[in-house]
Amino acid sequence: MPMVLLNCDKDIPEREKHIYLKVDGEDSRDFLPVSNAPTLPGTLSERGCAFCGAKLVIGGVLKDTIQMIHGPIGCAYDTWHTKRYPTDNGHFNMKYVWSTDMKESHIVFGGEKRLEKSCHEAFDEMPDVKRMIIYTTCPTALIGDDIKAVAKKVMEERPDVDIFTVECPGFAGVSQSKGHHVLNIGWINEKVGQLDAEITSPYTMNFIGDFNIGGDTQLLQQYWDKLGIQVIAHFTGNGTYDDLRRMHKAQLNVVNCARSSGYIANELKKQYGIPRLDIDSWGFNYMAEGIRKICAFFGIEEKGEALLAEEFAKWKPQLDWYKERLKGTKMAIWTGGPRLWHWTKSVEDDLGVQVVAMSSKFGHQEDFEKVIARGQTGTYYIDDGNELEFFEIIDLVKPDVIFTGPRVGELVKKLHIPYVNGHGYHNGPYMGFEGFVNLARDMYNAVHNPLLKLAATDIRTGIATPVKEAAE
Amino acid sequence: MNSEKLDQLFGYVQERCLWQFFSRSWDRQENIDGILKTATDLLTGEPPAKETPMDRLFYADAKVMVQDLKDRFPWLADAGPAQVRDLMHGLKDKLVEFTITKSLNHELNHTLY
Repeated sequence: MPMVLLNCDKDIPEREKHIYLKVDGEDSRDFLPVSNAPTLPGTLSERGCAFCGAKLVIGGVLKDTIQMIHGPIGCAYDTWHTKRYPTDNGHFNMKYVWSTDMKESHIVFGGEKRLEKSCHEAFDEMPDVKRMIIYTTCPTALIGDDIKAVAKKVMEERPDVDIFTVECPGFAGVSQSKGHHVLNIGWINEKVGQLDAEITSPYTMNFIGDFNIGGDTQLLQQYWDKLGIQVIAHFTGNGTYDDLRRMHKAQLNVVNCARSSGYIANELKKQYGIPRLDIDSWGFNYMAEGIRKICAFFGIEEKGEALLAEEFAKWKPQLDWYKERLKGTKMAIWTGGPRLWHWTKSVEDDLGVQVVAMSSKFGHQEDFEKVIARGQTGTYYIDDGNELEFFEIIDLVKPDVIFTGPRVGELVKKLHIPYVNGHGYHNGPYMGFEGFVNLARDMYNAVHNPLLKLAATDIRTGIATPVKEAAE
Repeated sequence: MNSEKLDQLFGYVQERCLWQFFSRSWDRQENIDGILKTATDLLTGEPPAKETPMDRLFYADAKVMVQDLKDRFPWLADAGPAQVRDLMHGLKDKLVEFTITKSLNHELNHTLY
C-alpha cells in the first residue's frame, strides 16, 4: 500500500515505485522509493541536466573564476543568473557569463581552436582574473573536443593562470546529481592539496554544501567569526578557487548539503583523515544543534552557548510571532532533494507547519531514508515528480503553500496556490537564526497574500476562473 | 531489555541524527559504533575519548545526543550503568538493522564515493 500509483500514472505504472505514502507500522526496511534512476518515458520530468548540476549549483558560485561554457549559447543562459548567490566582491559571478557560442560550422569542424581563442579572450578582457573552469556540454562532448588538452595549452602560454575542467555534458547522468558528483571528484583528485593555507586560528574547518543562496554563507560567517573559527574553504558559497585548493588544511569538514557535496567530504576523510560532521543549517533548533556540535569538536562550548544566547534573544521572539500565525499551515516541498529532509522537521518544530507532500528532483535513496525517517505519516514522498502528479497530489493534500522552484512555481501560480522559491529563495538568506525568520516571513506573506485569491476571480461574474489543464 | 524505552531512543535517533545515514555502509557502521560508544561513556560517567579527530567528532555528536535524550526521557536519570549499556547495545543492533543490513538503499555498498 505505501507505494502509490496515482490515477494520472495509469499508463506508466512504473511510477508507482517512485511515490511513497508514509503509514504507521511500516518503515524504510519495507519500502523505499526508487530514485537517481532514469526518468521514465511518458513522464515530463522537472529535472535539470548533469552539466547544470556542475555549473549552476557548484562551480558557478565561485566569486573569482571565469566559467567558460564550451557549447551553444543557450547552455550558458540556462545556468546564468537563475540562482541567487551573491558575493562580497560585487557579485562577479552573477554579472558575467562566458560561452564559446558554438555554431554549426564549429560542430562540424571541431571547437578546440574556438575554445582556446575564447579562453585567451576572456583572460585578456579580465586581466585581474586568473582562474577558470571550463565545462564541456552535450554537443562539444559528442564531437570529442579535448578540453583538458586546451586547458593545458592555455596554462602553458599563461603561467599565471590555473584552469579546472569539468567533463560532464548534460546527458552524462539522469539529473543534476551527476554534475555534482563529477565536479566533487574531479576537484579533490586534481586540485585539493596544491596550495598551503595561512592558519590564523587554532580552530579550522571547511564549510561544505552551502552556496550563499541569498547570502546564507555570509550570514553564517558571522557565527564562525564570533566563535573564532577559521573557515579554510567554503564549498562553494562566496568562495574562491584557491581556497578550495587548500581544503586539505582544515581540521573538520562541516557538511550542510550532503547530496551535492557529500562526495568531497567523504574523499577528504578518506584521503586526508579529516572528519565529516553533517549538520542542518536551516531552522532554530537544528542550527543551534549544529553550532553546539562544532563547538564541542573544538572544545569551545562556552563560546557557543554565548553565541546562541545572543542569537535567540534577538531572533526567537520574531520567530514565535510567525509561529503563532503559521501554526497548522500545510506546506509542500518540491525541491532538489536535501531540503526535504532539512526542512520537514524544522518547519514543524519551529513554526508549527505540517509538511503534507515532498518531491525530489535529484535525491538519491539516502535522501529518502533521511526524509522518511523525519517526515510525518500521511505525507507523500515523491521522486522525480511530473506535472500531472503535482496536480493530483495537490488535490489529495491541498497545501496552503508550496516551496519549489520557478518551473513548478509557474504551475502552482496558475492554480492560485502561493509559492515560495525554495531554491533561490524569495528574500533570503534562509539559513541560521535570522534566516529562518526570513523564511517564516516569506511563508506568512505568501499564505496571507490576497492577490492570488483576487487573481482567481473574474470580476465580471464574481466567480472563480476555471483552471484548465493542457490536456483538457 | 525494555522495548518501549528502546523504541523511544531509536525514534529520537531516526528523527534527529544525520550520521546514521552517511553514504556507505562502512561510514554508517563507523558512526554508529563510535557515537554510541561515546554516548554510553557519557551516560555511565566514563570519560569519553578525545584524543584523535575522529574521537572528537564522535564526542561532538554524542554530547548533543545525550543531552537531548536526558531532556526528553527523564527515566534515563534513574537508569543504572548496566541498563544503559543494555539499552545502547539494543539501540546499536536496531540502527545497524535499519540503516545497513535491511536498508533498501542500493548505493550503500558501492566501493567508490
